[in-house]
Amino acid sequence: MIASRFPTLLAELRRALGDDNLLANHAEMVVYECDGFTIEKNCPDVICFPRHTADVQTIVRLCNEFDVPFLPRGAGTSLAGGCLPVDGGVLIVFTRMKAIEEINLRDRYAVVQPGVVNVWLTNALKGTGFHYAPDPSSQGACTIGGNVATNSGGPHTLKYGVTVNHVLGVEAVLTDGSIVRFGGPAEDYVGPDLVGLLVGSEGTLVVVTKVWVRLTRDPQGYRTMLAIFESVDAATQAISDIIGQGIIPAALEMMDQGILIALEQAFHFGFPLDAQAILLIELDGLEAGLDEQRDRVVALCDAAGAREVRRADDPKERLKLWKCRKQAFGAIGRLSPSYCTQDGVVPRTKLPHIFRRITEISAKYGVRIVNVFHAGDGNIHPIVLFDEREPAQVKAALDAGGEILEACIDCGGSVTGEHGIGVEKIPFMAKLFAPGDLEVMQRVRTCFNPDHRLSPGKMLPTAGGCGMEHKPKPSPSIDRTHPGRRAAL
Amino acid sequence: MLAQASKLLPLSETCAPATQADLAAQVQACFSAGTPIYPLGGGTALHCAPIGKRQGCGIATTALNRLVDYPARDLTITVEAGMTVAALQQTLATENQFLPLDVPQAGDATVGGALAMNAAGPRRFGYGTIRDYVIGISAVDGRGTAFSAGGRVVKNVAGYDFCKLLVGSLGTLAVVTQVTFKVKPRPAAAAYLVHGLASLEQAESLAVAMAASQTTPVSVNLLMGAAWSEIAEFNLPGPPPAAYFVVGLEGTGAEVEWMLATLKNEWQTAGFPVSRTVGEPEACASLRQRLTEFGCDGGAGTAVKSKLPLVLKLTARPSSVVALVAEVRRLFPSASLLAHAGGGTVLARLDSELQAHELATPLLQVLHPLATRLGGQCTVWSSPFAGELTRSVCWGPARESDAMLKRVKQTFDPKGLLNPDRFIFG
Repeated sequence: MIASRFPTLLAELRRALGDDNLLANHAEMVVYECDGFTIEKNCPDVICFPRHTADVQTIVRLCNEFDVPFLPRGAGTSLAGGCLPVDGGVLIVFTRMKAIEEINLRDRYAVVQPGVVNVWLTNALKGTGFHYAPDPSSQGACTIGGNVATNSGGPHTLKYGVTVNHVLGVEAVLTDGSIVRFGGPAEDYVGPDLVGLLVGSEGTLVVVTKVWVRLTRDPQGYRTMLAIFESVDAATQAISDIIGQGIIPAALEMMDQGILIALEQAFHFGFPLDAQAILLIELDGLEAGLDEQRDRVVALCDAAGAREVRRADDPKERLKLWKCRKQAFGAIGRLSPSYCTQDGVVPRTKLPHIFRRITEISAKYGVRIVNVFHAGDGNIHPIVLFDEREPAQVKAALDAGGEILEACIDCGGSVTGEHGIGVEKIPFMAKLFAPGDLEVMQRVRTCFNPDHRLSPGKMLPTAGGCGMEHKPKPSPSIDRTHPGRRAAL
Repeated sequence: MLAQASKLLPLSETCAPATQADLAAQVQACFSAGTPIYPLGGGTALHCAPIGKRQGCGIATTALNRLVDYPARDLTITVEAGMTVAALQQTLATENQFLPLDVPQAGDATVGGALAMNAAGPRRFGYGTIRDYVIGISAVDGRGTAFSAGGRVVKNVAGYDFCKLLVGSLGTLAVVTQVTFKVKPRPAAAAYLVHGLASLEQAESLAVAMAASQTTPVSVNLLMGAAWSEIAEFNLPGPPPAAYFVVGLEGTGAEVEWMLATLKNEWQTAGFPVSRTVGEPEACASLRQRLTEFGCDGGAGTAVKSKLPLVLKLTARPSSVVALVAEVRRLFPSASLLAHAGGGTVLARLDSELQAHELATPLLQVLHPLATRLGGQCTVWSSPFAGELTRSVCWGPARESDAMLKRVKQTFDPKGLLNPDRFIFG
């Protein structure tokens, strides 16, 4: 867009949405310059807070008319820069589209607007006997729209699957401004599964404005255990043995000594600080099967060399344990001024290997790394600690994170299990996928997003001969006024 | 299979490449020449869509049938798309694992075909469908470009999820060559509970009771019609029931035992005492087989086998299933039905002596609009006269997402060569 037309766009947006639903003052917008991936920052030019799908449609049409990039944002909890406004432009923030429109227990679905915070739906369903299964650790803040964009996981994916397994349909505004519904409350709509494609597309294909989600029966009971190990190898052996025996826990989380120390300082749970690894194991389901399964799990942990297996069957104790796990990232503040969380995945039998590699990489770069894993899925979250005021530390942290992800690829894994590619992991796409794979992905991107105004600079590599991805435009455009910290890296 | 395919489809030639590269080369040749391509798996579902007139090349995946990787402890398996579903299940059984999908004619049906058809059966209520199990995929698009998506780990959000996109695409976007699944441990025990319903109206009360049940069934079925009359397990004392309500349970021994006792109590309280419990492993396997094969050749029991079956598939919100069943029976009094009362899918097996023109009117005027109103769709799932059906009779009215689907189709198959005139794209 020619910069001189910007005031006209702003005036049009103001007229359509009202002053209360728009921010254009730099000081007010600066908190939207990044998400949980704080290494790259860029401020949007305008922030819109739509209240209805029609508002979103208006915004998209105006962005097309004025040739301005736009992108959606939920609560900004994503960790890979998925809602970084790379080129500035219009940021569509969904926090005011927050209605739970329908809860239908008989037909086991709910309809929510994208700004509904994940835990609000959990709370709205309390006492009904049903719940919405995906529960990312950030569920107290993250929105369901954001969960759809990144295909969020969480600690219970081992048994219950990720967001895409629980999304039945979406209403979306396409990049041409039309409103289209995909899927819905019935099974098997005829045709290729576009809902499955849109979930996890990181806001690069459409702007989702409504979501039909599957509701799941609450489990009748839980058995929660805390197994304490002298070595990470012993803990990962126990994981492999439990799953090898055909037991699929609802959650199987591992925390290493580094994270335990931070958690203990924060929550005083009584974790043994000399333990090398702790497994948080939760079984759920029908009461009738749980005690037997718990006894088998305890025996397998013992056989793998657990020092002790504690039970947290009392609901209060269980909640406290989960609070520790879900707020683990918050506790990192006690260890370091900044941190960067990685999100690699390996086949779960490769967990001992990857953990050894992380230890080596930590030593090589002289950075401290602590670990909290979704171990049952092989989804690792090494947390690299650094001080962002020290450029050398920032570089070491980034390099160490990169080398960990390369190690994940080397053992047949992936560079992201649940956080997405965003801007952070674009360089890895060419390592993970062949040119033909990326070419087909690029074509699909162009099919939905032909002018690349929606979420430019995300997910797919910019270089590499595909030629269609984001290119800064030669004409002076609004985004050039503040290229972002990315330029400095 | 190729002989059977040649009878049904306008094939001028067929081939069965043994590698993905050979298959891609074949597609590239067709792309250059503008020759239509008919992807072929086990040939078990060829009659499930209209048949076009354009002569083309049948590309079979049956020589792509190798086991690529089975790290059993990771609960994943990678196979080529031409492996039969039965061979896949046999491999998994050696590690006491399974892919929890009810695929009809599994001895012939291929993994790629099951994916393209989105094959599913009654146990989808408890286990989900193929989209919930595919974690990696390789395929060749309509230009002959080989591509992959996903990977071999159970949790992975890198790149667009073409694993899901190709589910239900009926071979119109790409020819699937390799699939990685996550799999499950086999349940130790299984059982079915049967209630003979005096009237269809009672079915809704029982369905409501099931929706609130403490138990976690893997399938909730409402069965009606002659197809079920010769099953020994359904031979109940007293007058023949109007319909059967059949619930499938799987889990550990203790879980199944508890669910049986609990459901018996719940049904008794709701006024529908259990008529029969099916617990013997052989009887359970046999009943599961009958439920799975309902829409196929084997589904009508020993009766009529001479013609391909005429089967409609209707979907709606689960609470509308009984209404849908009643309407199908009003239009086609001799229809046999299998309704997934928990999920909302109804398979209706009609008299295969019906002619194509006798089917079109009730579909276009009644069932398509009704299913749409109830939140779902009505399609012809299988017919002996696929060549005479129009796309609108077969697949129902257009949906608002169809325009976007067509653009996606154009992206994968710019010349419209993959399964032309068979699916919603034309």
